[in-house]
Amino acid sequence: MTQVLIPTSLPELWSALREQPSAHLYAGGTDLLVKRRAGLLDPAILIHLGRIDALRGVTADDDGLRLGAGCTHRELLEDAQVRAVLPVLTQALQTLGSPPIRAMGTLGGNLCTASPAGDTLPPLYVLDAEVELWSAGGERRLLLRDFILGPGRTALQSGEILAAVRVRRAPHGSVQHFEKVGLRNALACSLVSLAALVQTNPAGRVKHAAFAWGSVGPTVIRVPEVERHLIGQPLSLSVLSEAAVLARRAVAPIDDLRADADYRRQVAGNLLLRLAETGSAPER
Amino acid sequence: MTERSARPELGPPQSPMLEIGASVPRADAWAKVIGAEHYAIDHYPLGLLWAGARRAGLAHARLRGVAIEAARALPGVVAVLTAADVPGTNRQGIVHKDQPVLVEDHVRHWGDPVALVLAEDRETLRRALALVEPDLEPLPGVFDIAAALRPDAPTLHPGGNVLLEAEISTGDTASAWDVCAAIVEGTFDLPFQDHGFLETQNGVAQVEPDGILTLTVSTQAPFRDRFEIAHALGLDPLRIRVISPYLGGAFGGKDGATVQCLLALAALHVGGRPVKMVWEREECMIAGYKRHAARLCYRLGALTNGTLHALDCQLYFDTGAYAHLGGEVMELGLEHAGGPYRIAHTRMRGWAVYTNNPIGGAMRGFGVCQASFGFERMLDRLAAALGRDRLDLRRQNALRRGDRNAAGVTLVHSTGLAACLETLSRHPLWLERDRWPDQAPPLKRRGVGVAAVFNAMGYGRGLPDAAIAKIALTPDGRFRVDSAVSDMGQGNASAFAQIAGQILCQRADAIELVQPDTARALPSGSSSAGRTTYSYGNALVRACEALRAKLLHRASLLLMVDEPSGLALLPGRVRHLPTGRDLPLARLAAMLPETDRVSIEQFVMPVSQEVPDTGKAFVIGFPHVLFAYAAHLAYVEIDTLTGKLEVCRYLAVTDGGRVLNPRNFDQQIQGAVAQGIGYALCEELRLQEGRILNPDFARYLLPTSLDVPDIASLAVATVEDTGPFGMKGIGEVGINGPLPAIASAVEAALGRCPSQSPLEPRRLVAEVAAPSASDDAPR
Amino acid sequence: MKIHLILNGTPREMKVAPDRRVVDLLREDLGLTGVKEGCGSGECGTCTILVDGEARLSCLLLAAQLDGCRLTTIEGLAQDGRLHPVQQAFIDQGAVQCGYCTPGMILAAVDLLNRQPHPTREAIRVALSGNLCRCTGYQMIVDAVETAARRMREGEDA
Ligand SMILES: Cc1cc2nc3c(=O)[nH]c(=O)nc-3n(C[C@H](O)[C@H](O)[C@H](O)COP(=O)(O)OP(=O)(O)OC[C@H]3O[C@@H](n4cnc5c(N)ncnc54)[C@H](O)[C@@H]3O)c2cc1C
Ligand code: FES
Ligand code: FES
Repeated sequence: MTQVLIPTSLPELWSALREQPSAHLYAGGTDLLVKRRAGLLDPAILIHLGRIDALRGVTADDDGLRLGAGCTHRELLEDAQVRAVLPVLTQALQTLGSPPIRAMGTLGGNLCTASPAGDTLPPLYVLDAEVELWSAGGERRLLLRDFILGPGRTALQSGEILAAVRVRRAPHGSVQHFEKVGLRNALACSLVSLAALVQTNPAGRVKHAAFAWGSVGPTVIRVPEVERHLIGQPLSLSVLSEAAVLARRAVAPIDDLRADADYRRQVAGNLLLRLAETGSAPER
Repeated sequence: MTERSARPELGPPQSPMLEIGASVPRADAWAKVIGAEHYAIDHYPLGLLWAGARRAGLAHARLRGVAIEAARALPGVVAVLTAADVPGTNRQGIVHKDQPVLVEDHVRHWGDPVALVLAEDRETLRRALALVEPDLEPLPGVFDIAAALRPDAPTLHPGGNVLLEAEISTGDTASAWDVCAAIVEGTFDLPFQDHGFLETQNGVAQVEPDGILTLTVSTQAPFRDRFEIAHALGLDPLRIRVISPYLGGAFGGKDGATVQCLLALAALHVGGRPVKMVWEREECMIAGYKRHAARLCYRLGALTNGTLHALDCQLYFDTGAYAHLGGEVMELGLEHAGGPYRIAHTRMRGWAVYTNNPIGGAMRGFGVCQASFGFERMLDRLAAALGRDRLDLRRQNALRRGDRNAAGVTLVHSTGLAACLETLSRHPLWLERDRWPDQAPPLKRRGVGVAAVFNAMGYGRGLPDAAIAKIALTPDGRFRVDSAVSDMGQGNASAFAQIAGQILCQRADAIELVQPDTARALPSGSSSAGRTTYSYGNALVRACEALRAKLLHRASLLLMVDEPSGLALLPGRVRHLPTGRDLPLARLAAMLPETDRVSIEQFVMPVSQEVPDTGKAFVIGFPHVLFAYAAHLAYVEIDTLTGKLEVCRYLAVTDGGRVLNPRNFDQQIQGAVAQGIGYALCEELRLQEGRILNPDFARYLLPTSLDVPDIASLAVATVEDTGPFGMKGIGEVGINGPLPAIASAVEAALGRCPSQSPLEPRRLVAEVAAPSASDDAPR
Repeated sequence: MKIHLILNGTPREMKVAPDRRVVDLLREDLGLTGVKEGCGSGECGTCTILVDGEARLSCLLLAAQLDGCRLTTIEGLAQDGRLHPVQQAFIDQGAVQCGYCTPGMILAAVDLLNRQPHPTREAIRVALSGNLCRCTGYQMIVDAVETAARRMREGEDA
């Protein structure tokens, strides 16, 4: 039998972690309990994070938003500030799992799972998000891309939790875009996904661009060549097709059950072309 | 057996008259929406033990032994059984008895059971199963049809790897090709499909104090199960009782032994304690039956005027490790291989082949679903070759009553395909088809496709398709139908209530439906083959008519009227119309002994009186004479960047004879189309050396509510003279249309279509990238 | 451990193994077999229950998490002998076939209508997209939720 601890405050959490250093954390349980059922882990002690208020809620300041790691996907989707400031994240969340998975699963769980197919990762990569890591001893911050070390691996240290994600506001008028390719329209793991943040000048030329691809490498991939290539260019099909070639060169997909590497590589490039359609309109 | 019973505390507010032709609500809906319906899986008898099977975990191996001591030593483990503990023949199978209950020495697929563990609780069971160690010596395996047919292939069964090889032919194909103006060819590959029912295979079993072995199982064939268990375990079938509550889906996958023999074996070893077995989703997929993977090779020729003239085809079905109904599935596929068309000269050959893959079995569409992809792709290609409209070519060749079909059988019963195609041709979705591609958004391509399909009903010649219905007047003046064919969700039980209500003129609350129980009902075959409502319904019509006549006669005695002609059955009473005097049915019932209140009648489905001089390999099942028909239309959109296919609109026009209940009719059509859309878009068992790589719902993908569009369902006005109130079974035909209709639409959109299904993004993106052939795209 | 909860309107105190899956607790210990299990891993929605009024998957909840919660299963949805409008609409619109998905579907729909009384068909399809149904093709289920929404609004107007 597994013991389940449910701290309701940070001090309770720190003491639980001190007494049970081998305990496993979980929030929504939508990753952890699935793995437990599959026999991939059998923790003797679980600590449930769902009742610690300090991990929840969205707050805004002039710089941007702070998203509590304990926020469920549904809470973020229903949050007016997130919708207004981070449409690329909203779009990604709409494709994540299914309504009950979004109601149970958390942002923190998605990031700590560190799957290359995790849907909140590409948007947060293009937004250059930072993570707040807390422990009994204090707090540290890391760029999300430094936090994620590899498939299923993060920079979390023993006794540390992910407390929040900080995201700066994107420059006004930038286009935020997310697309995920799955084998069906809900409950679909991503075969390839693309998050984009593109700022254009009044003449329609690109001033700044950031792209991040999911499911085409061990972690989310950003491709500086593609971003540089677009600077000063219009978002036309031909320019984007050139960028697509660069993107296909840079990604490192593998074959798996859901798709082969060739498909992923091809489509990773193709997805850029969608910006020709959506790119001219400001954020949706 | 002891049971907690949860009778619904709430009663339906109003009880409708049960009239044929009306959309009366289903009889089972009430208990299901309040969570009160007890499926087999909801039975937890007091003091139960849990049973579980240890699966081989290798697709082909010699089993040298099974180490069970460690498992047996675990506290809470009651027994660990192996093949040595199986009394009887240790063989199960519907037609061929070739599947062991527990493997003796030859493992033929990954999910073969090598030991059965009984434990006090599920956790102990789980741990004990992991402690059972089969000692396996791997054997070279065969993992596809071609490998199985190689002369030097390892063999799975004493008779070799060919379970059945057969040919159906008519006319003279040797010379017919010479006069063809257009000849098209194609080879098509289809994967295994899982049924995806939500209630996994399960049941409970117990030896009762009187020695009767009682099982409550999620099964489509309670009567056959008795014989299956008896044969495998050396028991007297008449000392076995099988109860089949409402099923949480089945679609063919609970036809044949799943948990039955294992459960019975377990029950024999525990001194009267009840035993429960539930397969988890992964086990359900690994050990359960599947729609056969198939390869189809087609060649079809037509005359200049578009008349189909010659067909040569070979259909190969991968039946996996055991026969199950592999031969019969191949038979039905072959019988339908020419499509619902007149073709004078045909040579159709079929093979059902053993491999070390999961077991192919019955599934909605039963061989026809696969063949439909082949013949309808051929029709589209022929239309392109002849420069003809796709629908027009189908209408020209559509079977009509009185025609001989491609298997050489004269269609003497209702044949409504032409009416289906006609209805489709006038539908706005067909008339406005050109607008669809024209309005495609940027980076998308759109197409419209059609398909004509059919599906036979019943067991076919050689195996009488019989049903025996039983209805009784209860002491409280209501009527009880003892259904003998399971309701797996298709609503046949509700149809039975409607038939009884119509004939006996009663409201819904006066008809009590009892789900199959071999101790109460009479043998009536399986819930399958589009026969359930037809065969049992026909028997029930007779039983109800006989009961009505009897009750009126008895009432005339009580009412002291000379003869029953002025009497009418009304809700809850018999009325003497000339005088208006009423006799409540409860009073009538009180006057009659129990034996007089029952009516039992039998029906046997008609068979072909003309047995074509072909198909000799089929001892049973060939030919059929009754068919349902359908014409389907699909609007699709393909994303050129990702290859993602979307089915946007769908129309199904069906000939199912007279419609007994329009809403239940549409339920069957919409459900079958949705399952067919899954087959077309994303459902595929992925195998590696016989091991299923996606044995769960995370990786084997069923369509969600966002993957299936609204489906318009229309019925054409035909009447099947032999059917109850003129109906035919339509449970299956609807699943045959989606794959060919969607493929036809994809071809219209892209100028080509993969010949391998499902039509996944990875396959379509390759077609998009290829040079466009849209100029020849069908219109 | 001991937990307190309100189950279908009745306060209860129970001794549970903290790591027992809620679906097992409800089905096997409490006899609430209207809660179904189709996959055990979050993929099918048949195990849906309402926790504090919101749809949750009981196969991915542990008993300890229920402490202090208000639970509604399909058995507790009807009030005072009257079906919930969603239940009634499921009957009327033909949304029930084998019925195995039905309890979960109904509770998912109730969650939707509590938050969004005027959903479009598309919004209904989205809200039900975590609940698989293998029998119906979903159309009549969507019809039923539309009907229930309309009746609930009309009921309020009246
Ligand atoms: C049916 C189904 C569909 C899914 N579909 C998708 C999908 O489409 N896209 C997608 O990206 N994911 C999907 N997932 C995965 C999962 O739902 C998400 O990753 C979810 O965000 C995980 O959150 P959680 O709170 O449930 O994580 P949990 O299971 O609770 O935890 C996951 C891991 O993160 C750790 N963790 C959680 N919170 C913290 C914290 N604050 N600090 C430190 N460590 C923490 C845990 O220790 C654990 O190792 C799906 C899962 C299921 C079951
Ligand atoms: S059983 Fe919980 S989602 Fe399938
Ligand atoms: S009605 Fe059978 S799964 Fe939905």
